[in-house]
Amino acid sequence: MIPLRLIKNTTRRISAVALIAIAVSLSFEAFAQKKIIIETTDLDFNVGDKRKISAYVEEDGKRIEANVRLYSRDKKKLYIDSEGMAEAFLPGEVNILAFVPGVRHAFNVNVNFPAIAEIRISDIPENVYAGSPIKLQYKIIDEAGLDRNDVQVSFNSSDEEIAVVDDFGNVYTQAKGNVKVTARVDNIENVININVQTNPIEKLQLDVESDGNRTGDVFRFSANAVDKNGNSVDVPIRYSFDGKADDVSTSASGLIRQDGRFVADKAGIYSVTASAGVATAQKTFRISERDVYRKIETVGQGLVTEKFTSDLWIWEGQDGRDYGVTGTWNADGTAYFWDVTDPSNISRIDSIQVDARTVNDVKVSEDGNITVISREGASNRKNGLVILDTSNPRDVKIISTFDENLTGGVHNVFIDKGYIYALSAGQKYYIIDIKDPKNPKAVSKFELETPGHSIHDVWVQDGIAYSSNWSDGVQLVDVGNGIAGGSPENPVQFASYTYPSGDNHAAFPFKSKSTGKFYVIAGDEVFPYAENGSYLAGGYLHMIDFTDLDNPEEVARFEVPFAGSHNYWVDEESETLYATFYNGGVRVIDISGELMGDLLAQGRQINFFLPGDPDGFIPNMPQTWGAQLHKGHLFYSDMHSGLWASKVAPKETETVKIQSK
Amino acid sequence: MEIMKTITLKRSIWAYALGMALMLIAYSGQAQNYYVYVTAESEDEVSVIKFDGEKAENIKDIPVGVWPAEIEGPHGITVGPNGEYWYLSMAHGNPYGTLYKYKTGTDEVVGTVQLGLFPASMQISPVTGLLYCVNFNLHGDMVPSTVSVVDVESMTELEQITTGAMPHGSRLSADGMKHYSVAMMSGELFEIDAFNLKVARTLDLDEASKMLDMDHSKMDHSKMDHSKMDHSKMDHDADKKEMDHSKMNHSKMDHSKMGHDMGGMKHSAFKPTWVSPHPTKDVVYVAGNGQAEVLEIDTKTWKPTRKFKTDKGPYNIDLSPDGKYMVVSYKTAAKTGIWDLESGKELARLDNSQKVTHGVAISSDSKYAFVTVEGMYDESGKVDVIDLSTMKVVDTAELGKQAGGIAFWKVDEE
Repeated sequence: MIPLRLIKNTTRRISAVALIAIAVSLSFEAFAQKKIIIETTDLDFNVGDKRKISAYVEEDGKRIEANVRLYSRDKKKLYIDSEGMAEAFLPGEVNILAFVPGVRHAFNVNVNFPAIAEIRISDIPENVYAGSPIKLQYKIIDEAGLDRNDVQVSFNSSDEEIAVVDDFGNVYTQAKGNVKVTARVDNIENVININVQTNPIEKLQLDVESDGNRTGDVFRFSANAVDKNGNSVDVPIRYSFDGKADDVSTSASGLIRQDGRFVADKAGIYSVTASAGVATAQKTFRISERDVYRKIETVGQGLVTEKFTSDLWIWEGQDGRDYGVTGTWNADGTAYFWDVTDPSNISRIDSIQVDARTVNDVKVSEDGNITVISREGASNRKNGLVILDTSNPRDVKIISTFDENLTGGVHNVFIDKGYIYALSAGQKYYIIDIKDPKNPKAVSKFELETPGHSIHDVWVQDGIAYSSNWSDGVQLVDVGNGIAGGSPENPVQFASYTYPSGDNHAAFPFKSKSTGKFYVIAGDEVFPYAENGSYLAGGYLHMIDFTDLDNPEEVARFEVPFAGSHNYWVDEESETLYATFYNGGVRVIDISGELMGDLLAQGRQINFFLPGDPDGFIPNMPQTWGAQLHKGHLFYSDMHSGLWASKVAPKETETVKIQSK
Repeated sequence: MEIMKTITLKRSIWAYALGMALMLIAYSGQAQNYYVYVTAESEDEVSVIKFDGEKAENIKDIPVGVWPAEIEGPHGITVGPNGEYWYLSMAHGNPYGTLYKYKTGTDEVVGTVQLGLFPASMQISPVTGLLYCVNFNLHGDMVPSTVSVVDVESMTELEQITTGAMPHGSRLSADGMKHYSVAMMSGELFEIDAFNLKVARTLDLDEASKMLDMDHSKMDHSKMDHSKMDHSKMDHDADKKEMDHSKMNHSKMDHSKMGHDMGGMKHSAFKPTWVSPHPTKDVVYVAGNGQAEVLEIDTKTWKPTRKFKTDKGPYNIDLSPDGKYMVVSYKTAAKTGIWDLESGKELARLDNSQKVTHGVAISSDSKYAFVTVEGMYDESGKVDVIDLSTMKVVDTAELGKQAGGIAFWKVDEE
């Protein structure tokens, strides 16, 4: 028997559903009679065109008065104002949304690619010789003045007996004579005359300089083409290499630049060849293992089991003992203080709790008396900074708080010579005078003007602030160094470098004593790196040679497969980099000598360690945050297990035991 | 033209109202489950809270965001008019926040679009189909921020309409044609034409609040010299109609040189944090977080009509769909106030389960109010469910840290 309640309910439900259906159909009926008609028939635009798109509403087949709004779904390509005036900026198809209340209609507008205006060929060598190929440098420019990399240029030669040209502008000269090379796109062409001369090259001389012969050591080859009289001939030289690795399971990889720089990744026999077409020269040499392995011994641990750990700072206190501070992440606003004088016996000596969920960053003044911690997730949403008296790290006290212009949450901070550098809004950093720590006062700020500019971190050393600005890369700002007349009150930007991925998250300077070069190590942070909410990070360290501040060059990288870089520390004395790679733990890297190519492949990784603790907040899972070298010990923080101290052992001298009968 | 639009809209609204009424009849007398989506801003989670009339429980935690080592801050949340999708504003990015579109039920991400700095509260108009989201820009600079307008079909930001400093609360009028938002630091109420995407009117809420404090009956108006009054602060609509802030490049402004100590704007004492239009009347209610009051503004005359003195820190407001009740979260006091809109009396002032009361959402049948309570430090976020007939907290559900934005999803039967 069916219960009465169920029958009642079912009847009610059916009748309700039916009536709702009627109501909804009534609702749709009210709109269904209307439709939007696009009156403008010519929806083809050229870049720069500005004209009106007209639309009206039809109801029951009759035109009615209605204001139809049109919106571009790609404003960078085509913008439509409130009067329907459309202006085309970039080529491509653009979807337009037209609507009146209750009725929507989408349609496409085409912005034609501008016609090609010019093929500009530059840097044609003064002398071109038969048998010595040259490469044409060219650029395609359209009528809108834009560089066009999406069109293919066709090249042809008026006389292939004299020169053959490929699709990439390489001119393979065959014999003496005059030849016309034509570059063509659509109906635009550029014709250049090349006078191919008899090749005077008698031979190629190849020299090399290097500080070593290990993997990762940079060789500088220089080739000189000479005629029969021994005079130099100015001709393009092409460098290449081949080789055979000692390990039969791998290949002799490396990197060669067309200025003659070469670096090998693997031990083995390598040959570098310089070619000027009719003449080549080669040098063969042995590359040995870099052999930088050193043991890492875990000395001690300050376990944090109850919450995530964030950044760390280690310093020598006024009493000569050594102390550490660590922040906490997505927790309760606590920072922990540690006595690390004996790294094998790290003890938690104090803590301080502020109104926050995350204390993302912690930094300590040069004398150890002042610590600044950053706040995110404050209950009053004012966030900002908390300035602490750490003159006695066993009894830490709050001196003051500061939140002016920092209410959205402070992600990173730095202290340098009585000033705090604090990030605000993910767009800029403020410089705050804390010489009177009870009364912090913002004295200036640094912010870029690029569209959508953004910032993640700032680090100050020798009066230069190195900020990490995501797609705006690394920015070098004089805040007292004097190189550009800057000061904390008047920060002056003087150099920068951006790279295409736009993932710049941290930056650290490195003055290489062994080479005299000035590098900035720029680290990525990339999330998400894998599918399905993976904890894996992506990204790597970019080694940028800033020796020529006006022409910085990205020369090398350190990448850990399936792990992403976070923070790091450079010991300039030993030319060693200590880098944390989230799930990839802490990495110790030899950065001595000139840097070029793939540092991991070259065997420059001295060692690595994956911290994990069975009692960790997340057990046995490394997620390493930051590292710092202090008095010979490597301290690092791990999100899941707290503070760690390790000792990287000196390089062992190989001892060979000789047995005798 | 306007007449036709109005007729079409009225037909639509009547049909919708009829459907809702029938739904209520169908559901009356049955065991019902209520569902709300709630953000946990410091946990990077959204939770689904189910309430069966007696017990509230967290039935699902949905991880949101893409940076496991950063808190991205899910803040605003809304369910689309047809209930098919829910939308989430994620406050932090590089530097801009992101709007996420999720499928209801499966809770899978189906689209994203970048908005402005710290996008917060939002709503979709059933007649334009567009989503309007304020960019809170909580970062401290006293600069005008914007309302992002998003076509949710293609997840494209169509426009950013400049309003005031730190726009936070926002809601659409019942007909979906007007968007109201309040700028917390500049103390302004903005009315945006949701169709033409232009600011139509603004109101200085500090002045509006003062107006209601004046006892006009005792004034001798005959002595007033109107020619010396500064009317410019009363109603800016006439002046601002012609301004097109979208074309201004505010990034190039140097506010530090405006002589306001790195903030060129007025710092409102009223500190409006929320605005909710009445479901049937031409009034909106504005929470004055700084002055412990809610103002009723007549949207026909654009003048304040009533003032409701509240407990400390009124923050968010929701009105019951039947138009009877106004529920106000008192953030500072950790209480929730329930007001009878007809009489203007506070019917109940209830203690919340912990500190920092935040958002309010009332069920579509006007029976229950769901109130988020952030908590502090590492306390769990909470949702207190209030029975609007008994004026009591019925139950509390827990979720991740800093429960904030809340959106009513649906009511269904067992």
